Amino acid sequence: MKQPLILVACCALAACASPGGHPQDPLEPMNRAVFSFNDKADQYVLKPVAEGYRYITPQPVRTAVGNVFDNLRDVYSLANHALQLEGKKTATDVLRVSINSTFGLFGLIDLATPMGLPSYKATLGDTFAHYGWQQSSYLVLPILGPSTIRDGTGVGLSFGYSSGSWVFQENRDAAAATILYGVASREKLLGLDETFSEAALDRYSYMRDGYLQYRNARLGFTPPASQQNPDDDNIDDLVPEDTPASAPAAAAPQADASAPVAAAPAP
Amino acid sequence: MKKLFTTLLLMLGLATPAMAAGDSPVDVISTTSQNALDLLKKENGKNTAQVRKQVEDMVVPLFDFTRMTALAVGKDWRAATPAQQTQLAEQFQTLLVRTYSSTMTRFKSAQIDVKPNAQINNNGREAVVKSEVTLPGNGDKKNVMVDYTLYKGAQGWKIFNVSVEGASLVTIYRNQFGEEIRKNGVDGLIKLLKDKNQPGKAA
Repeated sequence: MKQPLILVACCALAACASPGGHPQDPLEPMNRAVFSFNDKADQYVLKPVAEGYRYITPQPVRTAVGNVFDNLRDVYSLANHALQLEGKKTATDVLRVSINSTFGLFGLIDLATPMGLPSYKATLGDTFAHYGWQQSSYLVLPILGPSTIRDGTGVGLSFGYSSGSWVFQENRDAAAATILYGVASREKLLGLDETFSEAALDRYSYMRDGYLQYRNARLGFTPPASQQNPDDDNIDDLVPEDTPASAPAAAAPQADASAPVAAAPAP
Repeated sequence: MKKLFTTLLLMLGLATPAMAAGDSPVDVISTTSQNALDLLKKENGKNTAQVRKQVEDMVVPLFDFTRMTALAVGKDWRAATPAQQTQLAEQFQTLLVRTYSSTMTRFKSAQIDVKPNAQINNNGREAVVKSEVTLPGNGDKKNVMVDYTLYKGAQGWKIFNVSVEGASLVTIYRNQFGEEIRKNGVDGLIKLLKDKNQPGKAA
């Protein structure tokens, strides 16, 4: 599972910027190749296996499996919140893990969420971003899918150092758990892939742009203005505003709209 | 409390899809989403098509697809003739309605919590309404944040942008549209969308 790191090295060497492409995706040719590999892998292996898993397990079992993994992710999240010195979120994660691991029967039941302890699930990528590595190029990881160089590095380091060894004695068990985690995660997405194919004109850039918007919003990161077309943002320039007939706002002069149009993440 | 209020509104027959100009953007979103959920709950496997149609008829008029398409296309919108703009908006509307209509029954048992405080921009003509969607029964109980951006026009508040967890379902198309316009022009994009919208030809 050192692949992400190797990829990172490749990226550093390649440093290929394709003109006219997405500014946060200089590695587009390579990413597209990995994307189509993942597509095939999904079509022939991952999706059928996930469907089989859904077929043989009842929903309560799948929920319990998901909860166990979520509980482990909370441990990982706890470590990252601690690294970020996020006192409150670290405390929340400590409580979540303690409650779910004991009263929740080793994580089978998620009692913490209904108790009002929200889960943030921080990753090492979040920790890097917290300490200033906010902007990072898009990177499609083999099998794992959309990521960034920053987040992929986080994934690579975490896999390399722990790979579940703090839970499992045997490597074999850890590997089995990793596979089950993958299958369980894929099962949750069954049915969404049709929507995705229906919605997208170009599935690669649909996923990339969605992922980057989501990731940037979560980190509270706005790409620098030079990366966006400055006049794109002003919708009122594109579509003339019709004047509301009765609204009092009509009395106000046409304001030079400087407010951001899209739902800007809170600072 | 919100639910009670909505129920009262419903009982009084005030909650019609066609919104009066005086309605706040929050009311528009919360009333409509509640009504849509109520409709979806009637879905029983046999009447799926009918329920979908009813929800579409209720929800679609609340969107301004022209503005939405302009936002999706970005600066190339200016280069398009009014006729091309109309066609683009029509095809984009078809694409979006078709895509999201086929998934709506997944949200049958969802709970939608519309936040009472909208973020008002642009001298009160634009509002961002935030909501939190919970899907019970899903292994992942994480709530999903859905934000609606509305503007106030002659026909009251209309939605022109929807973001899920910070990712806009509209601007996500900008690169795909831009790429096609760069290669084959605005007409190329219209054609691409038309082909995509042909039943049985989904790529």
